[in-house]
Amino acid sequence: MGSAPTRSEVLSLFRSLLRTAREFSDYNVREYTKRRTVDAFRDNRRLSNQAEAAAAFAEGKSQLGVAKRQAVVYSLYAPKVKSIMEINHS
Amino acid sequence: MASKLISTAIRRNFLKPSTVPFLLRPYSTAAAAVEPLEEESSGITMKGVKISGRPLYLDMQATSPVDPRVLDAMLPFYLSRYGNPHSRTHLYGWESENAVEAARTQISTLINASPKEIIFTSGATESNNISIKGVMHFYKDKKRHVITTQTEHKCVLDSCRHLQQEGFEITYLPVKPDGLVDLEKLRESIRPDTGLVSVMMVNNEIGVIQPMEEIGRICKEFNVPFHTDAAQALGKVPIDVDKMNISLMSLSGHKIYGPKGVGALYMRRRPRIRVEPQMNGGGQERGIRSGTVPTPLVVGFGAACELAMKEMEYDGERINALKDRLLNGIRGKIDGVVVNGSEESRYAGNLNLSFAFVEGESLLMGLKEVAVSSGSACTSASLEPSYVLRALGVDEDMAHTSIRYGIGRFTTEEEIDKAVELTVNQVVKLREMSPLYEMYKDGIDIKSIQWSQH
Repeated sequence: MGSAPTRSEVLSLFRSLLRTAREFSDYNVREYTKRRTVDAFRDNRRLSNQAEAAAAFAEGKSQLGVAKRQAVVYSLYAPKVKSIMEINHS
Repeated sequence: MASKLISTAIRRNFLKPSTVPFLLRPYSTAAAAVEPLEEESSGITMKGVKISGRPLYLDMQATSPVDPRVLDAMLPFYLSRYGNPHSRTHLYGWESENAVEAARTQISTLINASPKEIIFTSGATESNNISIKGVMHFYKDKKRHVITTQTEHKCVLDSCRHLQQEGFEITYLPVKPDGLVDLEKLRESIRPDTGLVSVMMVNNEIGVIQPMEEIGRICKEFNVPFHTDAAQALGKVPIDVDKMNISLMSLSGHKIYGPKGVGALYMRRRPRIRVEPQMNGGGQERGIRSGTVPTPLVVGFGAACELAMKEMEYDGERINALKDRLLNGIRGKIDGVVVNGSEESRYAGNLNLSFAFVEGESLLMGLKEVAVSSGSACTSASLEPSYVLRALGVDEDMAHTSIRYGIGRFTTEEEIDKAVELTVNQVVKLREMSPLYEMYKDGIDIKSIQWSQH
């Protein structure tokens, strides 16, 4: 396994995940992806062990791949009517 | 000849579209039963109700949305990897078989079992049927008695009813007012010819968690196989088949953010428990459940189990906090709210509340923007109060006004606040119309009134 990711690599992954999260057409999935990303990065902030940090980084990368693909799938089949939560907020 | 006549008739009807619905109705009830769902960007109209947006979903016990990570694992097996996992002669079969076996391991890890003890089925209902009818049919010469509880899921109760018609004896254990099984009563009910004890782990309507380890210990003491329906428990509460001494366990995919139409049966190998198959055929799943294993569904189920294992702590904490937010939000604004079932031994994602002095159906109709249920989805069409609540000894009027709030992985704080707001508004509105609530506020004990009818 590779060495620990640099600070800028981590921040870039974090930003990419949040950006992809915002692309989900589904209200619940979008909110969940944002929340889960923020919480995961907060939990892993103090990972000092190099191998652990590298593993967490690799996991985040693979999750970014999943999110990118699924954001597309969700957009292809998005219902015309949005969630009641989005209508009242706008 | 006859088939030729039918086919020409059908062809003729298709050419005349105006007559098709009338002529086809006797053959196709499905087409006639589908109600039009008008969906425009301005809102949805269905069953005469117009809603401006899709309701917020709080019915996780009925089913849960598929997690995008689960769908991501499934999709390849709907596209290029379509092989039959039982095909032994080509790559398509091998890759599917590998995927199925990987899923089997993912599921068994979550419940601390061996992959060899997992049998794929169509869902928890089928697993329950195999467990109850299959075990009793297999051991029918010596074992003639089954113990279950009054609050089980319908498919367990109906399987037991079926056995009763065949001459088996069933004990339906009553539950305490908190919904938990009385362990002493269970112990007393066990007989030398008891072939199975079946108690569900987490109740689907009220969410109480039964004392599995204690029940397992009693079953071990008397050497009776122990079956549990863990459809609502899997991935939400820790399950260890060894600690709980479980012989058979029913699992479901769509309750844990997996696909619908897939489930599993855990069957202990040591000491070995045997069942008579309900379906005969190609001998898949070691002959216990013949029929091609649906690779995409099974892969999704496995992915859902692995996710559940990773996320159990995170989801658990969050769902617990949301449950407190919901309960405190409602209790802070209105009185006469009762939690059905034990408050200590329960799964937080299932909050079953009864509202005094309101009519249940009116409350549910008024909550069209919140997708909740009065209890089990299987019986939500009937106006009868839930048999589970009646088994708890809940009064008829309170059993009629129960609402089950199901909180899940994708529920947000804003949704909970919205649900609180809508529920409170509706309850207040209904109580304003209720003469009973007025009498209660004047200090009249409703129960002491002698109604002239009844």
